[in-house]
Amino acid sequence: MGSYVLKRVAVSIALLIISSILIFCLMRVIPGDPTITKVAGASGNAASVRALRAVRHELGLDQSLPAQYVHWVGGILRGDFGESYYSQFPVTKLISQRIGATLELAVLSLIIGVLMAVPAAVISAIWRNRAFDALLSAFTAIGMATPAFVTGIVLIVVFGVKLNLLPTQGYVSITHHPIESLKTAVLPSITLAIAIAAPLLRILDASLDDVASAPYIRTAAGKGLLRRQVVMRHLLPNATIPALTMLGVIIGSLLGGTVIVEYVFARPGLGTLVVDSVFKRDYAVLQTLVLLAAATFILSSLAIDLLYGVIDPRLRVRGSEAAR
Amino acid sequence: MTSVAASLDVVVSPRRRAEGLVRLLRRPAAAVSFVVVSALVFGSVAAPLVAPYPKNQFDVNHLFGPPTLAHPFGTDELGRDLLTRVLYGGRTSLEIAALATALAMAVGAVWGFTAAFHRGWLDELLMRIADLTLGMPVILLGLVLVAAFGSSTKSIILILGILFTPATARLARSSLLAELETDYYLAAVSVGAPPWRIILKELLPNTTPVLLARASIVAADAIFVEASLSFVGLGVQPPAASWGTLLERGYSVLYSSYWYPIFPGIVILVAVLALNTLGDNLQRVLDPARR
Repeated sequence: MGSYVLKRVAVSIALLIISSILIFCLMRVIPGDPTITKVAGASGNAASVRALRAVRHELGLDQSLPAQYVHWVGGILRGDFGESYYSQFPVTKLISQRIGATLELAVLSLIIGVLMAVPAAVISAIWRNRAFDALLSAFTAIGMATPAFVTGIVLIVVFGVKLNLLPTQGYVSITHHPIESLKTAVLPSITLAIAIAAPLLRILDASLDDVASAPYIRTAAGKGLLRRQVVMRHLLPNATIPALTMLGVIIGSLLGGTVIVEYVFARPGLGTLVVDSVFKRDYAVLQTLVLLAAATFILSSLAIDLLYGVIDPRLRVRGSEAAR
Repeated sequence: MTSVAASLDVVVSPRRRAEGLVRLLRRPAAAVSFVVVSALVFGSVAAPLVAPYPKNQFDVNHLFGPPTLAHPFGTDELGRDLLTRVLYGGRTSLEIAALATALAMAVGAVWGFTAAFHRGWLDELLMRIADLTLGMPVILLGLVLVAAFGSSTKSIILILGILFTPATARLARSSLLAELETDYYLAAVSVGAPPWRIILKELLPNTTPVLLARASIVAADAIFVEASLSFVGLGVQPPAASWGTLLERGYSVLYSSYWYPIFPGIVILVAVLALNTLGDNLQRVLDPARR
């Protein structure tokens, strides 16, 4: 077990380093010199060559690429992610201002999404009703095909414009005003939750189906257990593993999902910060956000893999043998 | 020699291929999706013929008009008919999706086939690269690539092509690896058929159906992501208009004329749903285990 954990952690660190190199290279490919935006933005007109050179020096852009990379990574290890080329605020400050809105949205939509998918899959497995199953597969197909902006727009029209029940724009900090904060988060969270629940339900349904034909399920039913008991005690625990993998992927790519949802509901979070920094070619901010997304993905798959070791003894043994 | 190799062709015959199509269309969901996709393609290609109004007919008396019999989808900020704009927008959206899909399929297939043929270090390297990009959220990577390549129509096609290539490469690799295990492949090799012949006449036709199913899903994803990029203003740029840009324009007047973004939104949803369903059903028809 110990060597399995060590190996997985080492692989994750290696992945993180490779991602950081790739992101760094990608950012340097971007045409459109950020220093021109910065100098022209400050003085309001064309930049002089000398001013440009001064800014390039100040930002360290006149150094060699490996030197720039080492400088960047060295800063990150000290908790310094550089400064925005545009607003000149430290990137950490911009991110900490915005991360609350994204975290609230991510946590709520994950909870709602799981609460939608898991009970639905369990009911479908216990009830075995064709009409209900057809309804669920229609939901997953439509849920997976509906872009978040369409869901969001429909919810805004129904609950904001027509019924005038809930706020549709902006963000209130949860520490400032918990109730208002939750109210503004309801519609965005439901929008993202549908995008989360659909693939989760699909995979959960498929793996419940797979496990249902296992001999031990027939044995459990044959010894006279109620369908409910068979599903809850034998079927569900064994069917959760593929669903957990999917959940890891979903958590890892949440930052992508929040981009559109935050934009639709005008929430000042990390997703809208991504869009802003692409518009402004602010690649100090952009590279940090992309690195954050990569780290989220790598850490969530690490966490899920380690969780497997805890819940599934077979994987634990096989994992440590492979590590040897 | 040639005749022996020729007689060994285990290529799916045209008749069996037609049977496959019949089996696909016998599934109600697949048949409906097929009709929907055909209708969308026809409506876009034949937009000048079927659109109720000329492309840029302004009407200052009907700005932001609600849906009526004359304008089923309403009118836009210049009084143009939105149904007409959706039909023409489909040209942009579908053209981008089709070209991006073709790009992703072609590059992905070469990438995956190369990996499968050269097991060993090249395979390892190619697949690790694919894994790395697969880990990133698609929209986020798309936005970064927009920052890198800009958002002209050509760039968007390139960007979408890049986004969907790694997953296609994975599939191409695994489907080719499965073919390399078969007896007909072994037979073709043992009678001394030249490699190009084995690839073009034996392996490619037998992996094509799987890749076609994948292409349908890639096209759906391409429409989805193009619309997402255009929606945040970083996709197709005016004066060109795709479904996504119509939605973006509509979103800005959501609170006064909510029907404006709804219709392009529904069209995007229907297109993605139909292409996904078609791809899913094709996979099921092809996969004997799930038939």
